[in-house]
Amino acid sequence: MLDVVGVRKEFGTVIALRGVSLQFRPGEVHGLIGENGAGKSTLMKLLSGLEQPTVGEVRLDGTAVNLKGVQSAIDRGIVMIHQELNLVDDLSVAENVFLGREPRKGLAIDYAKMRTECAGLLEKVNAKFGPDTSVRGLSIADKQLVEIAKAISYDAKYLIMDEPTAVLTGPEVRSLFALIRDLKSRNVSVVYISHLLPEILEISDRISVLRDGEFVGELDPKTSTPQILAESMVGRELGEVFPPLGARTSDEVVLEVTNLSTTPHHQPVSFQLRSGEILGMAGLIGAGRTEISEALAGFRKSTGKVKLAGEAIEKLSPSDRRKRGLVYVSEDRKGRGLHLTLAISENASLPTLADANRFRVNDTQVDSIANGWVEKLGIKTSNIHAPVKSLSGGNQQKVAIAKWLQCDPKVVIFDEPTRGVDVGAKREIYNLIVDLAKQGLAVILVSSELPEVIGLCHRVLVLRNGTCEAELAGDQLNEKTIMTSAAGLEKQA
Amino acid sequence: MNTQSMKSTVERNGALFAFLILFIGSALWKPGIFLQPESIRNILNQNASIGILALGMTLVIVAGGIDLSVGSLMALAGVLGVQWMNQALGTNASDPKGIWVAAASCIAIGGIAGLINGLLVTSGKIAPFIVTLAGLVGFRSMAQAFADGGEVRAVGSTFAALGQDGVTIPALPFWITTPLVIQWPVFIFFVMAAAVGFVLNRTPFGRYCIAVGANEQAAKYSAINTNRIKLWTYIIVGLCAGIASLCVSSRMNSVTSGQLGNNAELDAIAAVVIGGARMSGGYARITGTVFGVLMLGIITNILTASDVSVYWQGFVKGVIILLAVLIQRGRSD
Repeated sequence: MLDVVGVRKEFGTVIALRGVSLQFRPGEVHGLIGENGAGKSTLMKLLSGLEQPTVGEVRLDGTAVNLKGVQSAIDRGIVMIHQELNLVDDLSVAENVFLGREPRKGLAIDYAKMRTECAGLLEKVNAKFGPDTSVRGLSIADKQLVEIAKAISYDAKYLIMDEPTAVLTGPEVRSLFALIRDLKSRNVSVVYISHLLPEILEISDRISVLRDGEFVGELDPKTSTPQILAESMVGRELGEVFPPLGARTSDEVVLEVTNLSTTPHHQPVSFQLRSGEILGMAGLIGAGRTEISEALAGFRKSTGKVKLAGEAIEKLSPSDRRKRGLVYVSEDRKGRGLHLTLAISENASLPTLADANRFRVNDTQVDSIANGWVEKLGIKTSNIHAPVKSLSGGNQQKVAIAKWLQCDPKVVIFDEPTRGVDVGAKREIYNLIVDLAKQGLAVILVSSELPEVIGLCHRVLVLRNGTCEAELAGDQLNEKTIMTSAAGLEKQA
Repeated sequence: MNTQSMKSTVERNGALFAFLILFIGSALWKPGIFLQPESIRNILNQNASIGILALGMTLVIVAGGIDLSVGSLMALAGVLGVQWMNQALGTNASDPKGIWVAAASCIAIGGIAGLINGLLVTSGKIAPFIVTLAGLVGFRSMAQAFADGGEVRAVGSTFAALGQDGVTIPALPFWITTPLVIQWPVFIFFVMAAAVGFVLNRTPFGRYCIAVGANEQAAKYSAINTNRIKLWTYIIVGLCAGIASLCVSSRMNSVTSGQLGNNAELDAIAAVVIGGARMSGGYARITGTVFGVLMLGIITNILTASDVSVYWQGFVKGVIILLAVLIQRGRSD
């Protein structure tokens, strides 16, 4: 029995958990739901030893335990499988499973023993590949099996799974669920975190809901529906968060995409975007949303036709597309969106640096551009020459947006614009997006947060496997319809 | 000034401080040798070509690359430049057009080799270290093959005027007792330093170099043509190698195919590093590089003049490189 008792966690002034108590029992699948920022991941970090509670304690079979570091959690049989799998692609399956604790014969690794033990583990998880297979060639579902085999090898009594099905196909989800039920029958306690409400209803024995760092209730999956789960998660009217959308005033098509495809395996995508419209792109991780966005902005090879304000742009470079008014705000703020070590002013002016004069940088202008955006977007900083990494996530995101708005765009593609951003900045970004649309810009909003897509968009494309599965608007636009299309459940049913 | 801001001032201007420490230290240690105008003249005249090389290297490094081939490239450009000049001159050895043939040849060969390096790095997607390591070996081999392993002498002495003549500083009532010649390459170096400094700090291209070196992905996703930026940095360092080659070969009035530019790439990289550049790219200062070049020159000069065995000079250089980097640590990370 694993008990979390009155746990509170503070990061500086931010309170991630406000006194949460939960119980995880052997032989049970405990579902955990909550919006982003509700405190799920903080709770899981406490359980897996990555963080320690500010107040409160974790009890294992009634005794308080101090989980300091992942190893101390693993030693007690608490193992977490992260959403982003932690495998070394260049090693074999067996080498990954036993990484850092290889069986030895003298100084050398005992490969024979490692292989035999790994084969036994792979059998337990019903893997169809052998211990010598290279991890690089495995599908994501198979890689996940390697992680589960690794967890079992630690003799895990508590297995925490974060969004395990986010990147799996229908049949892969089936076999994962069979494996989870098998683990359950062997008295393992599974903590299952997911945004996919129908799945969590199916696999869980109990569902706990977190909201704003607090435990708000436990639901019985037998008597609940996705609707009930969503309401208890959100716990407030969506209208409070999202500013009212203006009605589209113009029918002018700004962007026309015809048969766009980023890989030959995918069905092409076609859609139109009108001036003043916010078009959502929903779908699971790996559904191809980012790929399509990057292809539109010219960062990725693609086939098909793209017309911006009537002009074909599919052969143009990213820089030329930017000059014609199509820009892309990347989902990966730290890796692609910004130069963290460079100043706010340098970041804000980078795409437009050579527009006025190809051979001379005007520093006065660079500074005035930065000051303008600091004021307009409410970027909290005392010095525009400070490096961007000194800013909070929300303010960084505003700089990442500012550098593209400076290009005076006609079409802005926002890819996960509120990822890792606090609630206050989120609302400011929502207001900004709606304002841009009201000014006549066309916006594409890629987001994994369904409330965001539902609350902000006039129309939503649901992508799956790189192609458009559904186009939703008006009354059809709710979590259930998006999720069923995103997971491809309509076709299976 | 509190300790915190003093610390950050030292870190930001680390190369200047390191230079001052070395300069004052040398002056106190060997005032009779180091403070002589002849020493200072020698330091400038002897290090101008490394300096020119280091300017181009600064751009390559700030954009996240490296070029190991430039020393060998100097030899190749020098051998061909002098051979073609000799051919063009024929029997008329004093014709001043020879200098122009040599200059055009050296610079063109440098630029073309830089273009090839750059294309292999960008379009060929081969790591810069490997591409230019191949160049280091390959260009030297070509230089020696074209020169039959030996020396190529310039016909006549007109060519030597480029590297040996310069501005004569007259004797003064104090300090300077005999007239001194500051050779043309020194002026070429300082003019180029100003130009490259302008390019790095005041042009979009320079800012793009910094952006590419700081985070190439982010630069690419800022709609910057990162390959074109990187390609140009290799072309520029190639051109610098051509000019440096011209300076050295005219100063010697000959090119020794196995010797010219030997280890020059390492000295240039050392100067850039001493100057405070971040080896992974994204930060460098031209003033730092200039001080780095001068520091390396001072070290060699004072050790030679103090009769320190030539075998120990490399060791001292190594220590100075590490010290200079330690002084500047913590500036940006």
